[in-house]
This record gives sequence, structure tokens and C-alpha cells, in this order.
Amino acid sequence: MIETFKRNKLFAIYSAAVVVILLVAIFAPYLTPQDPFDGNMRNVLQPPSAEHLLGTDKLGRDTLSRIIAGTQVSLFMTICLVMLLAIVGSVVGIASGYFGGKVEMILMRLADMMLAFPGVVLAIAIAGILGGSVVNTILALLVVGWAKYARLVRSLVIKLRNNDFIIAAQVNGTKTINILWRHVLPNILPMVVITGAMDIGTMMMEIAGLSFLGFGAQPPTPEWGLMLNEGRQYIQTAPWLMIYPGVAIFIVVATFNLWGDSLRDVLDPRQQ
Amino acid sequence: MFKWKKLLTAAICAGTLLVTGCGGGDGGSASKGGNPDVLKVGVTNFADTLEPTQNYFGWVVMRYGLGECLTKFDEKMNIQPWLAEKWEVSDDKLTWTFKIRDNVKFSNGTPLTAEAVKNSIERAFAKNTRAATFFEYESITADGQNLVITTKKPLPGMPGYLADPLFIIVDTTAEPARDFSKQGPICTGPYVVESFVKERAVMKRNENYWDGQVPYATVEIPSIDDPNTRAMALQSGDVDVAVNIAAGDIDIFKGNDKFHIDEISSLRVVLARLNQKPDHILSDPKVRAALIAGCDRETYNDVLLKKTFIPGKAPVPPSLDYGFDQLKDPNAYNPERAAKLLDEAGWKDSDGDGIRDKDGKNLSLDFVVYNSRAELPLYAEAVQSDLKKLGFDIKINTVDYNLIDNMGIKGEYDLLISNITTANTGDPEIFLSWYWKTNADGSNPQNGSGYSNPAYDAKLDELASEFDAAKRRQLIIDLQQILLDDGAALFFGYPQTNIINAKYVDGVVMYPSDYYWITNLIKPAK
Repeated sequence: MIETFKRNKLFAIYSAAVVVILLVAIFAPYLTPQDPFDGNMRNVLQPPSAEHLLGTDKLGRDTLSRIIAGTQVSLFMTICLVMLLAIVGSVVGIASGYFGGKVEMILMRLADMMLAFPGVVLAIAIAGILGGSVVNTILALLVVGWAKYARLVRSLVIKLRNNDFIIAAQVNGTKTINILWRHVLPNILPMVVITGAMDIGTMMMEIAGLSFLGFGAQPPTPEWGLMLNEGRQYIQTAPWLMIYPGVAIFIVVATFNLWGDSLRDVLDPRQQ
Repeated sequence: MFKWKKLLTAAICAGTLLVTGCGGGDGGSASKGGNPDVLKVGVTNFADTLEPTQNYFGWVVMRYGLGECLTKFDEKMNIQPWLAEKWEVSDDKLTWTFKIRDNVKFSNGTPLTAEAVKNSIERAFAKNTRAATFFEYESITADGQNLVITTKKPLPGMPGYLADPLFIIVDTTAEPARDFSKQGPICTGPYVVESFVKERAVMKRNENYWDGQVPYATVEIPSIDDPNTRAMALQSGDVDVAVNIAAGDIDIFKGNDKFHIDEISSLRVVLARLNQKPDHILSDPKVRAALIAGCDRETYNDVLLKKTFIPGKAPVPPSLDYGFDQLKDPNAYNPERAAKLLDEAGWKDSDGDGIRDKDGKNLSLDFVVYNSRAELPLYAEAVQSDLKKLGFDIKINTVDYNLIDNMGIKGEYDLLISNITTANTGDPEIFLSWYWKTNADGSNPQNGSGYSNPAYDAKLDELASEFDAAKRRQLIIDLQQILLDDGAALFFGYPQTNIINAKYVDGVVMYPSDYYWITNLIKPAK
């Protein structure tokens, strides 16, 4: 592990940044200088000052506290989503890749259908029908996103399927479930992890996007996209309400994208 | 050399962007002086067509300077003659005679007669059931320029009812050759439709207009639903006039001498209907009282909305003289009392999660809001935050505006926010009746809240046939007091409404009735 970090300085730096963000998310309730939900309504739209480092919002809540609390919400949603995508995509991909035939045909035609839709538009439609909430946002993006993972995993499994070690296992009479679990999954996992890591940034943007449009997290949740939308009304008179959540999204998304890239360089054997 | 040129171009581009981008801050191209032939007005439009009898689309027909009624309201909500030059009621109060002006022509040149007015009013009754909620007539007859309406019951509000945009006078003989919903109706206003889609209307001068000069050859009316975008369009000179600039933006225009602001108290009230049907939590009057007393409405309006709203108390805003100051609100802001009331009602936080509960059920309420008006989500979130301290769990459910009306009728809410005009016929009778008169099996569909009080209904019946202005006023005060004592609804506040114009345009006025935006009084400033 330490060897890897030594050989990949950039990866080490980005990983450290990711760890910091994760720690902020986990310990958010202890890090917020003030209550992110309860403001002083007599003290609204204050510009940044010593008391409120990033100013206060339309209900007098401390913007810095809300951004910190938002790290937890945004990151939790994103990581849940990416893990679900990877799991659903892998299950479907392995099933269709390994068994082939009708299973493959049905599952892959389904995936083709999903890929044919413009993703964000479909997600908006689904979130709109289900009604805005954290869970529904994740569901909507899951429905839209799983096909990409399923496609990827299927192609990896097809390549694996005819390898000697799989055939050997089959000849030995190993149960199918064990073959999939012991031999297939470990071989596709690195690619799935890389894809997932590189998707974290994108998914975070999509979640924030849905929240910005009012289909995601609902008030008073301190979600960054929602905070952007709330600040929009005051863009000319209280610009800090849009600038700082925007900066937060920028930093976190950029960090995860860079980390995902460097993780690929480390894990992907072809790159070495 | 080549590189230099590229850099220079880039710098110039960036510079131009900066200048045009920031230009809004000091008025920008508003200083150009405008085009004396074209007026551009930024509005919010909810109408899909210009058929005046469909939904509330008549409002838009009137606001765009297209349609006119027999009567209209002035700046103080007094009824004034418009297409009717005078009217009188018989001694038995059942027969109204309206004298129609004889110098009026429709925009297609057809003269306006009492017969045409009769056909138009009958058309409104035939096409929209809402007409009958204003008044029911025994007969309408036309005699030259005299229109005679007889009713079964005495109806003191008749001249006011006929000012409602539902009763815009259209030339029925132009149908069916012209499809009113697609091409716009033939009316008597200063402008006529050239083209209309929901997002953008273009109006032309009505060459047959009866009431003086029409200043502009063309009026362009883009519908800019987002309040910030509307403000920016006005700043940049994309529009010359804009309606309803939001609290967040109005400071930009105040103290800027390139713009003129006409800000008035509207006749509107923002309220939350409280669903008090038997199986709902809010059926308990103590919980309702606690909810109302737990909301710091003064702070919402004075601080959060920067005094663009007057703090709420009663159903009818103080801009109308119906005893606002003498009404007593038993549920004025008092969080200690609210907490005590909840204790008395049996709601206690037994599991320590910060939410009160009773019989294993949380004190959790569904608050339905829509956000096409900037203040509504703000009120909702402020209430959510204030009531959380008392142990309420308010769930905000944001839905599309088009769903709100139906949800209100069906009662699919605990709280439902509305921004309602209280006096669209000149006084609050219809408003007080629509939302709180007992709804027995759909007899009064607008009241989906389950509120019912026989004393209230009796006073409403009395009001319906009372002609004496002083007695009407007292009845309306009594009605409001009953609603306050019962905690029938949560009255948040009363909006100021505004219309802002660049100073090279003159005569822009906001009327409390909110019906008249584009008139022939708007003209280029000298």
C-alpha cells in the first residue's frame, strides 16, 4: 500500500484530499460552527463577517455551517448511488455475460432502451413523477445509469468466460454461483471500481442538478444544489449564497475526478 | 504579430462581455431612451389561450390591453364606468339598467350595442360555470343602448361582478369565422392581437379605439416567469416595463433614478388553508391555534421579505377598509402559549426525537406549496423552521401550480399555501364565501378544508342580500372575527405589488385589482 503511494505521488495527494473530504462529511455535525438548520430570522442575508464567515442565507442560517453539513448529504447520496449502480450493473452484466442466450438478449435490449434515452431528461421525468426526495433522486439516477455498468461488465465477462480457469472450474463440477463469486467477480472488480470512482464527480453533479431543479433534496436539507437554487433569487443582492456552494461543488467534484483518474492509472494493468 | 492580434481580440471580447454583463447595474441601455413606437413589457403569463371564458385567462386578455368590461375599478377600488357610461337599479333592487356608451366600436369596426353586450355576457355564462358563482340572472334584455338585467334575488354587488374579466365584452358575431382561443377575441381595448403564444404576445394599435389616442404602434409582451430574469431584463433594457419585481431584486431599482417604481398594497392575501376534516390532525382547534401562534409572521414579512409584504392577521388586507385594526387575533405570535396548547391537546414528545407524538403518531403535517411566486417557499420554510422548535414536523411538498387548485378542492393536504385576491368584485364577499362557507357534498367546492360554522354561514347569507354599505362592512368584520376565533386558516401576509418602468415611459400605474397593466395611458415620456 505504502509502496503504491510512493510510486504514485499524485495518487497519494489526491487520496489524502479525498480522505479529508470524507472526514469532513463523517464529522460534519461536530465541525459546523453553528446550527445549519436553525438561524436567527432577524439576521438574514448578512454578508460574510467574523461571526458568519460565509454570510447568512434567506432564513438567517449560517452558510458555512450549511455547506459543511451539505458535504455529508451530498457525499452520502453520491456514494450510495455509485455503489448501487455498481452492484446492479454488475449483477445484470454478469448474468447476461455468463449465461448468454435469452437472458442476455432480454437484459441487453433493456439496457439498450435505457441508453437510448437522454439520461438527465429521463431522470427529471422519473424524479418528477415520484416526487422530490433524497431517495427518489437516487432511484431516478439509478434507473438511468445502470445500463452503462451492465454493458461494461458483460463485455468483461464474455472475455473471461472461455478462459481455461473457468472451464477447469466447470469441469470440476463447481457450482455456478461459486464460479461467479470466486472466479468471475474478482476479475471484473478493478474495472468496476475504476469506473465507479471516475463517476463519483459526474453523479454528484447530476444529483446537485436535480436538486437545483427542485426534484432532489427538499428544504431544509442543506444540499448544495438546493442551496444554489435558493441563492439564485439573490444573485444580485447576496451573491455569496451562490458562490460558496458552487465553490464547494467545484472543489469536491474536481478532487474526485482527479482521484478517479489517478486510481485508474494505479489499478489498470494496461497503463503500467 | 498574429498572436498579438488574437490576444487583443480576446481582450476586447472579454471587455465587451464585462461591460454588457455589468451594465445592468447602472441601468445599462435603459438610458437609450426607448423606441417611441414599440413598448416592451415583461410579464408573467399563466394563460395558454386568449379565450376570456377559459379558466382565469380573461385576466390576461384584460392585462394585455385587449379586453374591456362594462365597469372597472379605480386606484381605490371604487367602481367606475367603462363601456357602460352609467347604471341604475330599480326600487325593488331586482332590475339593473346599464346604459352602454354609443361611441364605442369593436376593433373590427362593429358598433357596440346593448344586444352585443347581452350576447357576450350570455356567452360567458354558457362557457364557464364560474359565472354563476358571481350572480344568476332571470333575464337579460337589450333595448337600443340600454342593457337590462333582472335577477331573482337582490344582488348589491352587480356592477362589481361585471368588472370581472370573465365578463369581458367580445364581439360574438365574429365567431365562428374567427377562433377566439387561437387568434384572440375581438374586443374594444386599445390594442389588438397580432400573435400570441404563452411565452410571447405581440399587440398592435387598435385603429378603431374609442377612448383617445393609442400611443404605441406595437406592444411586445414576453412572459418572463422567473422573477430574477425579469429584473435583469428590465435592467438591461430588454423590456421597458416589468411587473412584480421580487423582494430580492427591488433594492436594485430603488434609488436608481433611471427607473420609476409604482408600488401599492394589493388586494391579495397569502394564506395557508388548514385541513380540518375529522380524520386530520388539524381538526383539533387547539393544534390549529398552536400552529398559528407558533409562527412569527412579523419577522417573515418585515425581515425575510424586506417589508414587501404587510404582516398578516385577518383574511382581508388592511388596504381595504374592513376593520383590520379592530379585529382581534387570539393566536398572535406566542410560542409559550403554543407549546402549552399542544401539551393540553395531548401532543408530547415521548420518544425524545424532537417531534411531538400522540397515540404513536407523530405531529407530522404535509405542507403543499408551489414556487412560481418567490415568497411562497420562503414562507413555507420559515414556518417549518419556527414550528420545528415547537415539536411539529412540517413536510414541504412542492407541486406544480396547475395541481394546486384541484388539491385544494379535494382536500389533499394538511396545509396548502395560496396567494388569493380578496376582492375581485370590489368587496370580499365572494372570497369569504368561496373558501369558508360550509361545503355540503360539493355545494361550495372551493372549500376543501372541511371548515364549517353555522354562525358564519348565516352571516354570509345575510351579507348576500344586504345593500347598505355600513351594514355590509360590519358583517364582513364579524365574518373575519369568526374565522380568526376558529383558527380557520393561517394568514401570512399581504403583498405589496409593483410595476417598474424605465423613465422614458410614462403613465405606468399598478391598480390594486391587478387587472389593468397595459392601457392607453402608457406612452413615451416627453
